[in-house]
Amino acid sequence: MTFIDILSQLSQGIAYTALVTLACSVTGVVVGLLITGLRRLSILGLVPLLDTFVYVFRGVPVLVMLFLVYFGLPSIGMTISPMLAMVCSLGLIAGAYLSEVFRGALDSVDPAELLAAESMGMTRLQILVCIEVPQMLRFAIPGMINEFTSVLKSSPFAYTVGIPEITKQAMTLTATTLRGIEVYLAVGILYFAIYRLFLFAIHQLESRYRVPGMT
Amino acid sequence: MSLIQIHDLVKRYDAQTVLNGINLEVSEGDLQVIMGPSGCGKSTLLRCLNRLVEPTSGSILFRGKNIMDPGVDVRALRQSIGFVFQQFALYRHLNVMDNITLALRKLKHMSKSEAEERALLELNRFNMSAHRDKYPSQLSGGQMQRVALARALAMDPAVVVLDEPTSALDPVLSREVGDLIRQLHHDRITMVCVTHDLTLARHISDELVFMDKGIIMAKGSIDSLSREHQNPQVRSFFGRESGSK
Repeated sequence: MTFIDILSQLSQGIAYTALVTLACSVTGVVVGLLITGLRRLSILGLVPLLDTFVYVFRGVPVLVMLFLVYFGLPSIGMTISPMLAMVCSLGLIAGAYLSEVFRGALDSVDPAELLAAESMGMTRLQILVCIEVPQMLRFAIPGMINEFTSVLKSSPFAYTVGIPEITKQAMTLTATTLRGIEVYLAVGILYFAIYRLFLFAIHQLESRYRVPGMT
Repeated sequence: MSLIQIHDLVKRYDAQTVLNGINLEVSEGDLQVIMGPSGCGKSTLLRCLNRLVEPTSGSILFRGKNIMDPGVDVRALRQSIGFVFQQFALYRHLNVMDNITLALRKLKHMSKSEAEERALLELNRFNMSAHRDKYPSQLSGGQMQRVALARALAMDPAVVVLDEPTSALDPVLSREVGDLIRQLHHDRITMVCVTHDLTLARHISDELVFMDKGIIMAKGSIDSLSREHQNPQVRSFFGRESGSK
């Protein structure tokens, strides 16, 4: 079996790795935006709840949260699919981290612009949606790339709940061929390739929405 | 006819009194210039006009209605008062056209084409239509202030409030903005301009109001205030500024 054969065998797991990473990243962005928006609007009673969520989900390891969701919930009668378990663990943890990235980026928006919008009669929600979030997302790109990379690197946990992603394929292949070095070298190359692809896509998006004078 | 009538306006922050019984009237078509040293309460007074700052006591009548009444629609009030800030406060992520049309679409519920048509009218007034696709970072200070003025005027406000409109500009650009304010005054647009730039004040108006320590200390022409006013502090403020001109 050549190195190319190994790569080809492992590539069967690429789609699952990409799917897990994409699903958890998108969940992270949506949850992060929701937490940031609700915090910013200071909706009564929600802020302490959101703070607690962020505090807890940033402090719990991905694997522990995944097992809690996938193996713990059935004991109270809730069975969920492996992919949903990943989204509810890794996705929510990413959301907690991204909410902090967004919070920092939001602080970079010039308060004078917000005052100008308020003085024109715009509502708090209009200001958030039309002025704060579009600027915040641009400021948050470096932090978002870091978080997406972390999600990709945590995606191998998916094999523990039976998702046949790259690492799962590698374990099977190593068990049958006993060529661990080549197999895991190939795994590293594939992860790096996926990482570069994600990075390329994000940079394309970044340059599409780049605004002169905003970095 | 009086557009704005301010009676005994007081604003306190804890122990600090920023406005201490302001009485002022602005009629339609007026250009009311308010001068005073930094920290005298000028900007707070302006922000009370559209309730960006809530006054502690007193009243502000806008078109005869007290804006402090509980039933007042603050957002509608703010749409009637155009604000221009000293740092321009243009939205950095939007180009010139979108900076002007955003409020027209969101608040006046105009379609994109209607809003752009309205914006172009204002941009033409300030000779800025060629810059419609540029972003704020690609404009000079004077151009940014023109866009800020166009953005305020596009909403068709009853009064335009200018908060230190030239403080971030060099003397040449300040003069340019002064010319624009004169042009708007000529077009019968009601304006309240706060500044501590005496050159601008001289350029745009013959008479002004002098504020210090939260009260209106004097009203009149710059020459009479600098030479004849009984309060030496007022004479000193205008005399020193006139001397340095």
